[in-house]
Amino acid sequence: MSAPILEVSDLDKRFGGLHAVKRFKLSVAPAEIVGILGPNGAGKTTIFNLLSGFIAPDQGQVLFRGTSLIGLRPDRIVGLGLARTFQLCRPIIGLTVLENVLVGSLGPRVIAKNLADRALALLDQVGLTNKANSPAELLSYGDLRRLEIARALATAPELLLLDEPFAGLGAAEIDALSTLIRSLHSQQNLTILLIEHKLREFMQLVSRVVAIDFGEIIAEGPPSTIVNDPRVIEAYIGRQTPVPTHA
Amino acid sequence: MDARAFPGLDRLSTASGLLALGALGALPIFFPGKYLTGVLTVAAIYGLWAVSWDFMSGLTGRENFGHSLFIGVGAYAAGFMNVKLGFGPWWSLPSAMLVAMAFGLVLGIPTLRLKGPYFALAMLSAAVIMQRLMLIFWEETGGEEGIQDITPLIKDHLHYYWFVLALLGASTVSLAALARSRWGLILRAIRGDEATCLAAGLPITRYKIVSLMISAAFAGLGGALYAHYQLQVSPQLFAVVTSITIITMVYVGGIGTIYGAAGGALLLTIMTEGLRQVGEWRLMAYSVMLILIIFFLPSGIIAPSWQRLRKSLGGTDRGLVGGGPAG
Repeated sequence: MSAPILEVSDLDKRFGGLHAVKRFKLSVAPAEIVGILGPNGAGKTTIFNLLSGFIAPDQGQVLFRGTSLIGLRPDRIVGLGLARTFQLCRPIIGLTVLENVLVGSLGPRVIAKNLADRALALLDQVGLTNKANSPAELLSYGDLRRLEIARALATAPELLLLDEPFAGLGAAEIDALSTLIRSLHSQQNLTILLIEHKLREFMQLVSRVVAIDFGEIIAEGPPSTIVNDPRVIEAYIGRQTPVPTHA
Repeated sequence: MDARAFPGLDRLSTASGLLALGALGALPIFFPGKYLTGVLTVAAIYGLWAVSWDFMSGLTGRENFGHSLFIGVGAYAAGFMNVKLGFGPWWSLPSAMLVAMAFGLVLGIPTLRLKGPYFALAMLSAAVIMQRLMLIFWEETGGEEGIQDITPLIKDHLHYYWFVLALLGASTVSLAALARSRWGLILRAIRGDEATCLAAGLPITRYKIVSLMISAAFAGLGGALYAHYQLQVSPQLFAVVTSITIITMVYVGGIGTIYGAAGGALLLTIMTEGLRQVGEWRLMAYSVMLILIIFFLPSGIIAPSWQRLRKSLGGTDRGLVGGGPAG
């Protein structure tokens, strides 16, 4: 295995009395698709916010291609090649779909001659070409997710963090989106880290899963073993307690 | 669709802009008189203040309630250079722009990190503080009297008006072109969602500070032009009411469009003067008209009318710069 593109060690974050992330560690190899699995409130989004610089950790280290990301502003981290999407889609209101994607290409990483053509190609890739000139706020939920991904791709990332990309989507949209993620991975060798709930499509997409609950890693391994892990089942369904038998 | 990412200024807009400037310049030839020339000169200076406000606040949505600060420091820079330091009057323009830019930098660094209404409040307070400082340091600034006996830039009133009008045209064109460049797109994106801009890899605070400095430079230029028109400066230049007037002009013209701001300023200044005929009813008539405009035309008068006219003239709809609430 080559040197990891992302190496996280001992990442810790408290919000007042809430220990949101406890000694989180993760190593992602180039061109890998890794999933972080966990129920609501497990600390998944906090981990993404820590990795992308939107929140500062209390302690721990994040190395991206050997460079520490601790203390860097979010835009600097994007400049190094680590881009993210938001769980609650954040289109830029007042701009068209095309302009939203263009904004992603105005950072230091992109030196394309014709930014509009590049943005149009990205819209084509995610299937939004026919909506290029509509205001972003008029998109459907599924289209907003595609726009999030197109904007993140516009920054020319090497590692893409997808925050619950399937949330709120219908079955057909989930299918289309996992096909898109798969093609990004296979055609562009993009490394992808995504967080999601336990979901069949998600489990089929990732090669490795890190399961967390209450901010802590509870299991790690290939999806097939994770789905049967008793701690993961417990986190999602709860512990099996003996039913009192006396009448 | 247009294959270019940034449309730039098209021929129809440029031609119409030149036509409008020509008409404004010709007005005092057909209706000669010192009074009309004076009104138009002040209107053009207000236009400069309005476009400079719109460039930063209209595009980024960070409403600057202390724009008079940049006007005041620009005017005082002109006064100091000309009267106290004895430089020729033409030195006023670059020095006013530089001093105002420096103030934009120093004020922008702490205030543009603030969220919500705090930037507006901080700028408002800064302008009030500057006005007080002019009184406190009266030995240098001349206190209430200000600085008198400033040399005119151009003696002839009509020629001076033409000069101011040309500067307004050049500033509007440069700022509108900038608003249609990648810079403008980034500023409008900041207006939409700052977190998304960060996630797109853009150093948003730096963009906001530099845009405030550009805004300040043009406001300062207007301040110096005003100082060389009044031939004196006073602490009244820092008055909050000036900032509010400018903001009103931009809203009436069409926020986020730059040229709309210039139109709004010209319209309101001339309207104010025109209403002098109704005597004591003037303020009331002005307020009623303003309320009606804002109530019935929330995206302003100038920019939406121009968009409609442009369409009927066969201009392609390439989206209004700024869009703003006009959409």
